[in-house]
Amino acid sequence: MYDIATDHAGGLNAALITLAFGFVFVLGLGLLAGRRVAWAVRMMQVYDAAPAMTKVAATLMLLSGGIHLALVPGHEGITGLLFVIDGLGFVGFAIAAFLTTWWRRPAILWLAATIVAYIVWVVAGWETPDQIGIACKLIELVALGLLTRLANPTRHTWPRRAWRAMAFPLMACVTTLGIWVGGLAHPDALHAHAGALLQPVAAVATPDQQAAAARLLADTRASIARYQDPAAAILAGFKPGPASSAEPLRHFENKGNAAAVLDPNRPQALVYAQTTHGLQLIGAMYQMPRAGQWGPDPGGPLTQWHQHEGICFSPFGFEFSFETPFWTCPVGSTSITTPPMLHVWIIDNGKEGPFSADLDKTVQRQLTGSS
Amino acid sequence: MNQRPSTNKSAAEIASVLVVVQASFSLMAGLSAIPFAIVEPGLRVLAVVTILMAAAMLWLARNLRRGRRWAWRWLVGLEVVSLAMTAFLSLLPIGTIRGPVPLLVNLVIPTAVLVLLAADRSDARGAA
Repeated sequence: MYDIATDHAGGLNAALITLAFGFVFVLGLGLLAGRRVAWAVRMMQVYDAAPAMTKVAATLMLLSGGIHLALVPGHEGITGLLFVIDGLGFVGFAIAAFLTTWWRRPAILWLAATIVAYIVWVVAGWETPDQIGIACKLIELVALGLLTRLANPTRHTWPRRAWRAMAFPLMACVTTLGIWVGGLAHPDALHAHAGALLQPVAAVATPDQQAAAARLLADTRASIARYQDPAAAILAGFKPGPASSAEPLRHFENKGNAAAVLDPNRPQALVYAQTTHGLQLIGAMYQMPRAGQWGPDPGGPLTQWHQHEGICFSPFGFEFSFETPFWTCPVGSTSITTPPMLHVWIIDNGKEGPFSADLDKTVQRQLTGSS
Repeated sequence: MNQRPSTNKSAAEIASVLVVVQASFSLMAGLSAIPFAIVEPGLRVLAVVTILMAAAMLWLARNLRRGRRWAWRWLVGLEVVSLAMTAFLSLLPIGTIRGPVPLLVNLVIPTAVLVLLAADRSDARGAA
């Protein structure tokens, strides 16, 4: 569900360069201090005197600053300006951590404000959450957690201690929720519904593509007509997927057809609807062998493949939930990305059409008799 | 009693912050499964187990900061299991690790926690 936005790719390089620069800088400083260069000795003493938590927090803020500054060219207007201010601020706090005594509280405010601003931007739809943005928030969250632990706990009364213990986990949870809400409320054009990424295709189908799509539909319908009876499908090697009260559609998969590519005579799965009078064949599903390997699309935008990602799959009972933006799943389930698939619905699929990722909700209700 | 002497608590403090981050993410994963659990009975169990685990991790992080040996041992066990599962799942063709976020959350943070816990123990040994 969360990819790396093209204009954010530079952020990853900036993070690696910033890390390498920081490492080389400290290494060089140590070498110069070893040769008794006065200013290097002084700087090294300041660096050595700082607690490990300060060093790690400063490194993380430097990383975030580097990423923000690298992303300025891809962001126009107020967002770009805020990125400049934010980036320079983080670099400033990373330096101030070694030179001043007052830096901690302003840095906490700066980090919290940056995280909150990101959530606002994402929820408002001004920024699409992607892996660079989320990774940057992760870095800032850890820095924030470290800075809150740098305070002296002995001076605090119990309400302040309780707030101190709860504020950081709460911030991490709110950040997760905010990114999630933003991502679901403003999916990009290639996300048909939560968890399904569509193959990039042209906007309009050519007459040739329309004819090819119609041919694929007719060939598929003719080929799978022999499996109207599920028993015939099982005899042919299709294995029924587990039944679930939450999912009225059942996929019968045939592993023997795994290597076939968009072959109407060898579809990877058949799709049946659980109706009030038994299973009814409603379509076929073609699937590519590997994730990220888009299949041939003879119908152009009419035959658009999709792959499911960001799904937490539980092998206990074949159940699903959604992965959080920080890529975590409930214990006992794991994140999966399916190979691309193309459904061909042989029944009238209403507004969605014969190749849509999902069965039309109205059609599904009519078939299954559910409200 | 059952308390480790340590001259430098930084490693344990940093590790505890990372564990709190992990616990917060686990908590959200558990809470997010609840809507699905309405229709998927297995997820009810997984959601509850995940939330309890997140609470346990917060508790372990707190006790790690206080220098409890048992918290240290439990966290080492948890992080080793987490890393082993990540290594196993990344070998399967299911796209578990794709991009910097899963890399940081599932690989870098558990590794960093283990390294910090090891550093914390060597501090404690040095102080003893």
